[in-house]
Amino acid sequence: MDQNDRGTVTPEAAGVNNTRQEKTEAPPVERRKKPRISTTPPTPPPPPVLDDYEPIIGRPALDELRYLARPLRTKTVKMVNSTSMGGGVAEILNRLIPMMNELEVSTKWDVITGGNDFFEVTKGFHNALHGGEFHLTKEHVDVFMMYNEQNRQRLEFIEDLFVIHDPQPVGLIRSKERTRGKWIWRCHIDLSHPNEEVWGFLRPMVEQYDASIFSSPAFARRLAIPQFLFYPCIDPLSEKNKELEDSFIEKVCDDFGIDRSRPIVTQISRFDRLKDPVGVIQAYKLAKKYVDCQLVLAGGGATDDPEGAVVLQEVMEAAGDDPDVIILNLPPWSALEINALQRASTIIVQKSLREGFGLTVSEGLWKGKPVIGGAVGGIPTQIIHKLTGVLVHSVEGCAYQIRYLLTHPEFAAQLGRNGREHVKENFLMTTNVRRYLILFQLMLGMARPAAFEVK
Amino acid sequence: MATAQMPITHQRWARTPFFFNSAAQALRIGREQAANLGELLEALRACPDHSIFQHTFQTLREHHFIREGFSNDFAHWAFAACNEVGLAERLASVDVREYTSIQSLRERIIGIVEEYVQKNPRSRDRAALEPFYFCASDTIVIPTPFIARNLQEFIDGLQKVSVYSVHYHFIEARLRLKLNSNDFSVWLDEELDFRTVADRINRIDIYTSTLQDVRRKIIRILESALA
Repeated sequence: MDQNDRGTVTPEAAGVNNTRQEKTEAPPVERRKKPRISTTPPTPPPPPVLDDYEPIIGRPALDELRYLARPLRTKTVKMVNSTSMGGGVAEILNRLIPMMNELEVSTKWDVITGGNDFFEVTKGFHNALHGGEFHLTKEHVDVFMMYNEQNRQRLEFIEDLFVIHDPQPVGLIRSKERTRGKWIWRCHIDLSHPNEEVWGFLRPMVEQYDASIFSSPAFARRLAIPQFLFYPCIDPLSEKNKELEDSFIEKVCDDFGIDRSRPIVTQISRFDRLKDPVGVIQAYKLAKKYVDCQLVLAGGGATDDPEGAVVLQEVMEAAGDDPDVIILNLPPWSALEINALQRASTIIVQKSLREGFGLTVSEGLWKGKPVIGGAVGGIPTQIIHKLTGVLVHSVEGCAYQIRYLLTHPEFAAQLGRNGREHVKENFLMTTNVRRYLILFQLMLGMARPAAFEVK
Repeated sequence: MATAQMPITHQRWARTPFFFNSAAQALRIGREQAANLGELLEALRACPDHSIFQHTFQTLREHHFIREGFSNDFAHWAFAACNEVGLAERLASVDVREYTSIQSLRERIIGIVEEYVQKNPRSRDRAALEPFYFCASDTIVIPTPFIARNLQEFIDGLQKVSVYSVHYHFIEARLRLKLNSNDFSVWLDEELDFRTVADRINRIDIYTSTLQDVRRKIIRILESALA
């Protein structure tokens, strides 16, 4: 990846034509080292084991997980989703399944298969459930149900608990009456404003499940079955979140031309207008009238997504020739570099205009950083205003908070401390395991909720 | 005059040991939601007890690490989503430890909101920035291996259990006990005859301390009794 003299990734590297570059008369002075990012994905490290989490959550919390798992040791669980690689759900299952099995709760992971026609339909459903335009036809229904039926015939349903993730495999519920187990639908997407046609088709299947799980109350629909709340989670031992040697952080900053002796304001996100990268630059420029800082905008999506490339171009134009704006279009295997950038930051921003849950906020909070977040989607769940971070609604608000946090480091540090604890309590993988164990016990009637008297 | 020698504190033995428990919660999404204070009032009257518990007692556990003024979800919503600072202050002043039943706590919260909207009628229908979603929690009690029969064992156990255990015994307990006290104080008083120590522990302010602070303060009080 190439950088120019402003420390931004060159448009050529991002596949973007930049007319401003062509007008440059003198050749750019290379004053920063070029980033050294592998062009091929590195070999993933071995997965952690439960005991590796003890320094993070403590022995008592780990013992409680083991206690909650004990009655479930004779039970079996099957989880089903639509992909084994890529995407947040697969990322979570890749950690969750080994942890469940280490706790001796026998858990199997199956992935449904389908042709391109199936995944085109399910992609359409996905967008429609987020509120996009979609006209549901008989052909869509037939393709969706045919592949669900094929998978239903192919898979065996002999377990005690079935957790079906997202809409793609929802039709597997037709096997329910031939099984003795409990069926749970885990919805990872925001159903707050679904396309009524698509939701009207899926809903009768969803309501045949014994329970559902949503990531936020705001994402849920009113259903005839119990709805449980499981927040999305991050893995504190993943490459994106694990502790790093300071020398590595230093090297990454050095490679990207970031000066660690000066304040660093960072937004990590795809080059997507809904993440408002241009708004972040405007806020930085307003703040910079009063405080010194650098702005790092790092993310991906500009190489393989035509719209991402256009947004990157807009971002570069908004940045102008300010050498303190560092724009990085990173490949998908840059988890360690992103981790290092977050840890090097003074402030982390996620000024989204629309958002799913927005787990980059939790990633920033976990690193003990003060986070400024747009008050949209799941961000207010992670940022309790002025307690675990600050929420903003405008460019001006974001600029003010950058100024305030840079000039009030004690307050910023307190937000960071609280933010990390908030993530530890609510948004870690171990909390997710705990929630599943409790839910499984309740579903199988192994535990009864403690009652408190009314009078 | 003969004087009976008082047993030194660490030699007192309980007839009934203290069993440290902990608790785990499943969080359910409720049917009620409120987009303004008028709707909040309706939902407060209609929601199940487990929702009142979740947004008062339980939220303290979920935010146990915050010292700076987090009280309950209703107060926070009134402040952050409704910008009704006066109402937020009054709701935040509700100390759950003064309530031994969910019903009385519910009535108090309803009373505060009712009074506020009566005095500020325009606030009743003013749209909040984001709705209040009612949730409810189901609690499962988890035994721990820690048992205490004397003060030293009690301190040892308290040092080892999770903060969830501290919440369960110190805050949630009053709903079970129907007393303005907690499991720790009741046991220390009834089993080890430490009434003064029990009272001091019961007066620890949970709203200006994290649960770790609470644990440390209890241990400090007990260690001074041992000294």
